[in-house]
Amino acid sequence: MKEVILDCFGEACPIPLVKAQNAIEELEIGDVLIVQIDHSCAMKNVPEWATKAGHNVEIEEVDDSEWEVIIEKAK
Amino acid sequence: MNQLKAGFDRLRDNEIYKQWFKNPFTYVMGAVLLSILQIVTLAVSGAPWGVSGAFANWGAWIYEALGGSVAKWYYFSTTGAQNTLEQGFLNHPDSLRNVGIIVGALFATLMASQFKIKIIKNKKQIIAAVLGGLLMGYGARIAFGCNIGALYGGIASLSLSGWVFGFAMFFGAMAGSKLLVKFFM
Repeated sequence: MKEVILDCFGEACPIPLVKAQNAIEELEIGDVLIVQIDHSCAMKNVPEWATKAGHNVEIEEVDDSEWEVIIEKAK
Repeated sequence: MNQLKAGFDRLRDNEIYKQWFKNPFTYVMGAVLLSILQIVTLAVSGAPWGVSGAFANWGAWIYEALGGSVAKWYYFSTTGAQNTLEQGFLNHPDSLRNVGIIVGALFATLMASQFKIKIIKNKKQIIAAVLGGLLMGYGARIAFGCNIGALYGGIASLSLSGWVFGFAMFFGAMAGSKLLVKFFM
């Protein structure tokens, strides 16, 4: 099982979302993608997309205005 | 010190704090609040809500403070525009409201403990921000309004111009998104 970190700090919407969508294509089922973001709207649209796409999603607030969206590819 | 930390830890887990200050409001909640407040704006100041027009005045005030004069500029040539400039920043509702928006946004960010000075990741971001700002500012002035004054205020005032603006902006945003993906991915 692979774990990939996607550094999107300093990237504004919708770049983190598009990057995450592209990155998950490269992964196998069961792999984990960790999207690092510091743009609060990405904290909303990245998990929203991942949940709708059927993946397992968790959000962790790692610091002030810094989040990790942890996406486990489920299909 | 420990007591203070314990107090903040308790606040962080408090449901009411989370609901009002930490978690984002829903889009519907935001829309309802904006709509009510823009009605208040219209009722109190007598003009629909606008944002970017005030920045043109800020530019004129700065230019005049440096010794220049905009009296002959077409944009500021009407008596109304000259009056607004003469009465100054503190008598200009739109300017004061913009300051309020900035201070309010800062307050909300601090309350949610989400204040962060963000890094500039690459030169492309600077170029895009400057170019985008110039285009938006210029476009908003020759269209007599931005997405607030022309779109939001226009539609709320039942003006057809707001819908025309929105229709055009939709395609502009589509083109912008394509450029964004092309140059930033």
